[in-house]
Amino acid sequence: MTSVAERLLARARQSGAEHAEVYVSTGTEFTVEVFKGEIESLVSAESRGVGLRTFREHRIGFSYTSELEPAALDRLVDEALENGRYNTAEDANVLPQPESIDPLDGLASSAHAPTDPQRKIDFALEMERRATALDPRVRRVSKALYSDGRGEVEIANSHGLSAGYARTIAYGVLDTIAEQDSEMQSGFAFTHGRDLGELDLAGVVAEAVENAAGLLGARPVPTASVPVVFHPHAAAMILGVLSSSFSADAVIKRRSLLAGKVGQQVGSAIVDISDDPRLAQGLASRPFDGEGVPSRRNSLIENGVLQGYLQNTYTAMRTQSQSTGSAVRSYKSVPEVGVSNLVLKPGSLSRDALLKRVDNGLHVEQLSGLNTVNPVSGEFSLGLTGHWIEKGQLTRPVKELTVAGNVIALLQKVIALADDLRFMFAGGFIGSPSVLIEELPVGGL
Amino acid sequence: MPLLEPSLVDSVIKRALKSGADFVELFVERKRNQSISVEESKVQRISSGNDLGAGLRIIHRGTVSYVYTEDLSEDGLLRSADLAAQVGRRGGGRFALADLAGDAHKPQLIEVPPESVGPEAKIELLLEADQAARAVSGSIRQVAVGYGQSAQEVLVATSEGMQHVDSRTRVRLMVHAVAERNGEIQTAMEAPGMQQGFEFFDQTSPAEYARAAAQRAVALLDAAPSPAGAMPVVIGNEFGGVLFHEACGHGLEADFVGKGSTVFTGKIGQPVASPIVTAIDDGTLTSRWGTLSVDDEGVPTRRNTLIQDGVLVSYMFDRIRAGQQNHPVTGNGRRQSYQHLPIPRMTNTFIAAGAHSVADIIAATPHGLYAKKLGAGQVDVTTGDFVFAVTEGYLIENGQIGRPVRGATIVGNGPRALHRIDMVGNDLKLAPGTCGKEGQAVPVSVGQPTIRISELTVGGTGIGPAGAMRP
Repeated sequence: MTSVAERLLARARQSGAEHAEVYVSTGTEFTVEVFKGEIESLVSAESRGVGLRTFREHRIGFSYTSELEPAALDRLVDEALENGRYNTAEDANVLPQPESIDPLDGLASSAHAPTDPQRKIDFALEMERRATALDPRVRRVSKALYSDGRGEVEIANSHGLSAGYARTIAYGVLDTIAEQDSEMQSGFAFTHGRDLGELDLAGVVAEAVENAAGLLGARPVPTASVPVVFHPHAAAMILGVLSSSFSADAVIKRRSLLAGKVGQQVGSAIVDISDDPRLAQGLASRPFDGEGVPSRRNSLIENGVLQGYLQNTYTAMRTQSQSTGSAVRSYKSVPEVGVSNLVLKPGSLSRDALLKRVDNGLHVEQLSGLNTVNPVSGEFSLGLTGHWIEKGQLTRPVKELTVAGNVIALLQKVIALADDLRFMFAGGFIGSPSVLIEELPVGGL
Repeated sequence: MPLLEPSLVDSVIKRALKSGADFVELFVERKRNQSISVEESKVQRISSGNDLGAGLRIIHRGTVSYVYTEDLSEDGLLRSADLAAQVGRRGGGRFALADLAGDAHKPQLIEVPPESVGPEAKIELLLEADQAARAVSGSIRQVAVGYGQSAQEVLVATSEGMQHVDSRTRVRLMVHAVAERNGEIQTAMEAPGMQQGFEFFDQTSPAEYARAAAQRAVALLDAAPSPAGAMPVVIGNEFGGVLFHEACGHGLEADFVGKGSTVFTGKIGQPVASPIVTAIDDGTLTSRWGTLSVDDEGVPTRRNTLIQDGVLVSYMFDRIRAGQQNHPVTGNGRRQSYQHLPIPRMTNTFIAAGAHSVADIIAATPHGLYAKKLGAGQVDVTTGDFVFAVTEGYLIENGQIGRPVRGATIVGNGPRALHRIDMVGNDLKLAPGTCGKEGQAVPVSVGQPTIRISELTVGGTGIGPAGAMRP
């Protein structure tokens, strides 16, 4: 245990807390953004902070600070206890007992720290250079950015828990602008890994260029009811809207679409969804959650049937169940319930084989208006951009299409899943393959 | 007590200059906040936080480098100064800052500092609001009420010898109501806020806002699905201004303009809107959510006319973009915190009031949609295409407000919509919001009077990824 954690736990007990929990986070960041072959900005930093929860007569107090001087830590204890005085006392307000935590290898890359900053700058420059060299219609890049970081988490509580882990992340982001006649289209792609060496330079460039240039000349099409294939990224973004409904807290607070549906068929029989914080390639992977509870894979939907909800210690106490190790937080917040790596299980079809099942339909690549979706009712009205599918092939680009409906209804219409699992950041680290939906009314001309 | 001893400010800047930097800027920030939430009619959470940190920006041979830290000891800061100098030594960029200009206006006075008010009074207001919302109807099945306060102090000092401090105190109320009937769910929210002390609640009744949210959620249960298609759309005042903010405001930020990634690039002096449209960004308004004495680069804020009678007059600049584009500063350099580089951002942005009453506008519209309140939206800055949710909408039939509709979205293109504004009301109001861009969230106001757009698509249309704004 670090001295900060020790000092806070001891002081909290002395000041009248029956129990206490300390969450310390430290991190580094390096970010470079380039524009037209030159560095636009470089950011380099070390950062830290600590959050404290106190428990007294089943009342939780919480406060956080970025100041680690002794006087500031003492103030932190006083503030947390003071806040706790006004909170509602609940039997469910308890700290978890320590359990043994299986280590999770591969979260932090040993190649991360020694990587020469110049190579990172070169990566960003090369993304920009190659994007404008690949397709004459892409003459400009509006963002070429490389960023990485290493974060360390330490958690300790008065039940004797003391645990920590480190995690590294590196990613590149590329925004392109394609132009033809007077039309402009923007394209976006990103690549991620544990360190620079894991990033896919050629892939991110090809995708950002294709996303912009491939949609030039897109036209509206007439309204039709057709099979729809969602690109993995588009599907992941829709799953992101659903993710909050898996939280037992949302169920308790009557804000979940899935409330009261355990054991019911909420998706078609081929839909399997799990939340897996121990996934090797998952950027949200962690050996334990925000309360120090060991993490584990949680099956949420199996063969279309809802299996249960994600729980932290509080919601588990309230619903007479067990924590699923799903507390998410930063040092600035108390542990909430949330997803880590949420995955829609891929099928066995190749992407081409999936498309071959569509004679006349729509391939959705970009969604708009996702933040207008109501996560409580699940109702959505989205704008769609992509390509028309004819005889199993992507043909002309199409835009200004709309689809309205309900997220649950969509899950029930899933008839095929490809094997091309991809991940996106969408309220969690969310993975999906290409998804074929039976038929949707698509609004157009 | 100063955020940082003046002698330490000096020595940090001198240390960074020693490496040969052309420019050094130190930004120090302390932010204290408190939030209280009531759910299930009881205090669910009360928490407080304390952020203190510094960011050091240096420009060395045209390259910008930035280092931030929470370690404000002399050793810690000098180490950061060395690191910034080392990172920045690469050089070879082409950045220079525009000169400072203008005087800072006086910071507003806070009558009752929120920190001086105990939690009891705040909790009482929240419980009143909770009860008021639940009393509206048996169909209200959940109410969440929240209170938030923050006090941010910033210090900006540069190697030019400039030094400014600013203090920003905000209080806000949030009410979220969920109504349910026969398995159908509708929600509504209200979230008023000002840069004031606790005296904010002298004029703001949490119970009234709670009732309004609950009534709207219940009314939506009876609303019919919105018709789709092209039609005239009347957009309500206050948060309706989010449409201008997203679909046009971001396109007038000088970083996008500098990269040619907005439709407004190169259009200064040209008509970009209907001649009845004047749009303004004003960081000096008293007590507003996006008001600043100086921006986060120490530049005094001002009232900037963006569009005058339909003609594009100005973009919004930070010092870097003003320097690049050879333009005077406008006081729009903002950052989420000491952990972020400043970029051009809006402050309080609105369409100026026009001549018509709301009644005139409705009466002059034979049929269409009255989008009285807008919710979240999305816009592609490159194309100007947007989508917004209508959270309170009515059909307009024969020049009268008709039945409520739900699930409507309005979709269109910012520049085209600006040209199609054919009536502007006299009921200008502003509303607070949190604007997200490049991963940085900053408080802003949006606003407008009631306006009519002669034709917009109701339903949906396709656009790409973009910035996001939440109320």
